[in-house]
Amino acid sequence: MKKIIKLLKLLKLPVMDGFQILITIQLVIFSVFMLLPIVYIFNHALKPYSELFIYPPNIFVRNPNSQNFNELFLVAASSAIPITRYLFNSVFISVGSVVGITFVSILCAYPISKHKFPGHKIVFSIIILTLMFAPEAVQIPRYLVVSKLGIMNTYFGHFLPLLAMPVSVFLMKQFIDQIPDELIQAAYLDGAKEFSVFLYIIVPNCMPAVATVAILAFQASWSNIETSTLFMQDDEMKNFAYFLSTLTNNLTNNVARQGAAAAAALIMFIPNLFIFLFFQGKMITTMAHSGIKGSEKSGKKSE
Amino acid sequence: MAKILINHLYKIYGKEKHAVVKDFNMEIKDKEFLVFVGPSGCGKSTTLRMIAGLEDITDGEIYIGDTLVNNLPPKNRDIAMVFQNYALYPNMSVFENIAFGLRLRKTPKHEIEQSVKRVGRVLEIEQYFSRKPKFLSGGQRQRVALGRAIVRNPEVFLMDEPLSNLDAKLRVQMRTEIIKLHKSLGVTFVYVTHDQVEAMTMGDRIVVMKDGVIQQVDTPEVIYSKPCNTFVAGFIGSPQMNFVKGRILENSKTKKLEFHTNRFALEIPENAVRAVIKNKQVNRVVTLGIRPENIGLEVLFSEVTIKGIYKLGELMGADRYLHLDIGEEQPLVVRVNPSAAFSPDEVVSLALDMSKVLFFNSETGERLIE
Repeated sequence: MKKIIKLLKLLKLPVMDGFQILITIQLVIFSVFMLLPIVYIFNHALKPYSELFIYPPNIFVRNPNSQNFNELFLVAASSAIPITRYLFNSVFISVGSVVGITFVSILCAYPISKHKFPGHKIVFSIIILTLMFAPEAVQIPRYLVVSKLGIMNTYFGHFLPLLAMPVSVFLMKQFIDQIPDELIQAAYLDGAKEFSVFLYIIVPNCMPAVATVAILAFQASWSNIETSTLFMQDDEMKNFAYFLSTLTNNLTNNVARQGAAAAAALIMFIPNLFIFLFFQGKMITTMAHSGIKGSEKSGKKSE
Repeated sequence: MAKILINHLYKIYGKEKHAVVKDFNMEIKDKEFLVFVGPSGCGKSTTLRMIAGLEDITDGEIYIGDTLVNNLPPKNRDIAMVFQNYALYPNMSVFENIAFGLRLRKTPKHEIEQSVKRVGRVLEIEQYFSRKPKFLSGGQRQRVALGRAIVRNPEVFLMDEPLSNLDAKLRVQMRTEIIKLHKSLGVTFVYVTHDQVEAMTMGDRIVVMKDGVIQQVDTPEVIYSKPCNTFVAGFIGSPQMNFVKGRILENSKTKKLEFHTNRFALEIPENAVRAVIKNKQVNRVVTLGIRPENIGLEVLFSEVTIKGIYKLGELMGADRYLHLDIGEEQPLVVRVNPSAAFSPDEVVSLALDMSKVLFFNSETGERLIE
């Protein structure tokens, strides 16, 4: 035991008792386990065909090469629409959705949280209730709405179905609840109108929630193939995720292009990873806030 | 000119018609420092927030200057407010916090710069201008909050328990600074506190409130020496005023009125006799109130003595508070010289300054006045 403590001190780690060490080890094991899929995606993309189909599968690649990527580029080069078009669509839709979803969510959450208009609880409950619908259940109504609006084959057809995101409204509302009312009242007394309060007080103070919502929105739109499949008939309006899904779909031979699919999976994953790494600190703040509301609030008051 | 006139102000909450403020009437004079004081939940903060426009008025009227402000939004009332938790904008630097109100009012840039710097000099916060509020101590935040309020030169200043989050030493310091600020600015201050010391030291006049009703409005001296009822008498002053219940009886020999408890009888002074007779309290139970400093150990300022049994002593440094059993529910608290020490259950003889004694109606709690 003394040796362990000495070691901990040497490594400048906090000194822990036996139970804490046990818990820490357990958590480390869990986190390694959670890391596995990511490691697997990276390795899988670099595996030659001979390794791709081994059973049981290898986690770590033995002879890494770029064969899968070559195959992917070959497929991409031979497609009727240039792959850059799909990429442009994806980037445009994702950026647009992130901005749109964040803006709509915060606009929706602020009045529900801070302006207790009659029925605000019901409105919020309805928003939460929509979380319970399976996406499949709303596909047909959604299709009808999009087609009646006449936005098939337009970028609106991509944005609009994503715009209302109950999870992000929920996170935003929980976060705005933490902002003390006095802050808003002080702004009123300083001469702020409703929109100034929103712009200068609410938005800057819920940046952590904005970051979280941005991650969620990005993930939702970047990997979304539903809008491309259902609402886009023209190939040039479809997104990158859809293009990648076509690599292995609808083929009689399910061995062909598996390498390209593995490379594609990595390419799909990388933007998510970077966005998460960029925003992760703020994301954790939001999650902590939306969970333990009472204690956070009292903590803020006493400071 | 910014007097505030409040007429029949009511605030009623919820379906149960719970009235937080009831029939509040008063005139706050121009340039006055008025303090609302009372226990928590007495409606003092609600009243302040109604003046500020942060709370809807259920019924009644509020005038600031000559304007009826009932339906004016806060920003058009020419007021500034300091909150208990300071409510500094965490996303802005100290400079921006102070400048925010001016920016929203489209003040030219150089004027904003000048005004904020002037305020910074007055409050000695210039060196923190670039910092965010979370890197400031409580006292510094308090100054920034004050700065944000004074930079706009409002006619009325509202403060909602601004010192209650500070430690004791800083509170005393900020108290004097706020008093100085009031003198130098020459505007109307309305200050809410639950601390009777703050009320006594800061206010030109004090409003004592209880359950949404004004109990008494007067200068600190009058509130202290002539409280209108037992609530005010008990709330203002530390340690609390002593209350003793007893019956007013006529001495058959001297034909003078006396105050009788089951342990002792006290002759009632001349001015009190008139009040007792006028209020028809002879032969009835009344409450006698006397402050701890108006009771002494020796027969120093009065011949009137009673006996008490020593139970407990609290040394406060400059004074010692003795808790004595005189056969009542509550012990009698006496403020004496710290050198006076007793052993438990020792019988102590006490002298009462009968000219300072107040009599209250034992049912309504009202003070008996001539």
